[in-house]
Amino acid sequence: MSILFGNRNNTGASQRKLSLWQKLIGLVLANIRQWLSALGEIWRDPIPSALTIAVLGVSLTLPATMHVVVKNAQVVEQHWQNAAEISLFLNDGLSSKQLTAFVKQVELNSKVESVELITKNQALTEFENLSGFGDAIKYLDVNPLPNVLIVRPQTDHANARAASLLLESLEQSREVNFGKLDIEWLRRLNAILDMVKDAMSSLTILLFASVVLIVGNTIRLSILSRKEEIEVLKLVGATNSFIHRPFLFTGLWYGLFGGTLAWLTIEVMVYYLSGSINQITSLYQSNFSLTGLSPSEMLVLLLISMTLGLLGSYLVVRKQIKLIEPDAN
Amino acid sequence: MIRFEQVSKTYRGGHQALQKVNFHIQPGEMAFLTGHSGAGKSTLLKLISILERPSAGGVFINGHDLSKVTAKQIPYVRRDIGMIFQNHRLLKEHTIFDNVALPLVIEGYSLKQIRSRVETALDKVGLLDKQRYYPMMLSGGEQQRVGIARAVVNTPPILLADEPTGNLDPKLSLDIMRLFEDFNKVGTSVLIATHDLGLIARMKYRTLTLKKGRMLSNDALASEDSFA
Repeated sequence: MSILFGNRNNTGASQRKLSLWQKLIGLVLANIRQWLSALGEIWRDPIPSALTIAVLGVSLTLPATMHVVVKNAQVVEQHWQNAAEISLFLNDGLSSKQLTAFVKQVELNSKVESVELITKNQALTEFENLSGFGDAIKYLDVNPLPNVLIVRPQTDHANARAASLLLESLEQSREVNFGKLDIEWLRRLNAILDMVKDAMSSLTILLFASVVLIVGNTIRLSILSRKEEIEVLKLVGATNSFIHRPFLFTGLWYGLFGGTLAWLTIEVMVYYLSGSINQITSLYQSNFSLTGLSPSEMLVLLLISMTLGLLGSYLVVRKQIKLIEPDAN
Repeated sequence: MIRFEQVSKTYRGGHQALQKVNFHIQPGEMAFLTGHSGAGKSTLLKLISILERPSAGGVFINGHDLSKVTAKQIPYVRRDIGMIFQNHRLLKEHTIFDNVALPLVIEGYSLKQIRSRVETALDKVGLLDKQRYYPMMLSGGEQQRVGIARAVVNTPPILLADEPTGNLDPKLSLDIMRLFEDFNKVGTSVLIATHDLGLIARMKYRTLTLKKGRMLSNDALASEDSFA
């Protein structure tokens, strides 16, 4: 494309008439070549690049670690949710026959996994032993404690909603004074987890911003250190977008390496922690095991980090390249 | 080919580099631009390659008014102008081959075309056997010839040279000038800024002389009506 010489027909010009397809292939090849040569640039100046990548790795590791923590906490939470229990406080004055019949009736409910009866005498003994008010209780004429039936719902009725529905239906029974679903603490845990997640997202935004800024600053320094080269490129007729490209690719590489580093760090941490986690879970007789990033999550992490790297360099490159103007001396 | 009409350039700060300069270089012409340091030679060349814009007057290349060239179009204008610099302006971290190939890479030539054109250009300046070298491994004269090869590799219609022989001894300078003559013979317009009057005297080409920003011997306007 010549602006001044519309009919500039030297040998090169006639050879340059390429088909659209050839141009497209040429463009793709040129981009791949530049992508690789950007890698070469990083390699040529390894120490600042390595430092930048390390900082990116740390910045990306933090949100990714929090993601892993929340993910595992949710697994644990689900595990606990299955342990939801309903306590039914039974009316006073039931005969032991009525009591047995009621226990049988609840036990046969299809939504119920198992029941456990704590009679008022058992409860009183337990209270005496545990509370330390044993002597005081002896002054009471009657046992004030009710009979309690602990109901464990089936797995698919163990979540908060289904369990409270079950509680409602059980409360309809004549024998029940009132029931209590021991799920408040689960709601609290949920609320805490939600808060952690919110805190995580705001922190994630901050850390992502820092990734953009770090890449931007590194690219800015690398542009300044290659000022002379950029001037020469401008003198021989390179368009701004041609000069931008290697820097954009460098940003992309930084993102890729930073993301990979973050992923490796998480893998190492998970491996390191899984031993002590296993010890804890075996004490709780649970088969929970710590999970790291799944392949798709890893891919998302790399995509995010590359996008951030590209964004960081894009924001800087446009402005910086425009500022560098060649001087014929 | 290159026409200046009443061109003045005043730099910020009030320094008047050029005052009402008129001249016209014909297509295929070779000319020298001379004058003392600070006479405005570099400014004049900068106006042609749009490194600077004139404060007044018009610069025309091939009949196109450069003031109408937008910032986005400047790179394409520079592809039509081969520029040679006193300090060569080579990329030190790249081989001679890569340096010469630069204008072609920018224009998106295929690798095959790049190879053949770079080899032709390097052969022309006699450095074909040094294409794998780095600029620092070459002498000043050789580096200048690499700069020339880079300027002509995409066969631009115009060649501008700013003190191309500034750091060279007379024998090498003459060699460089012979190279420019060769390119001129195949139809390239060549404008060489130099203060090497001895060299100019040895070669029979038109000389434009600048003194304190004004054109002294100006025989260009005589052929005003014949420009392309």
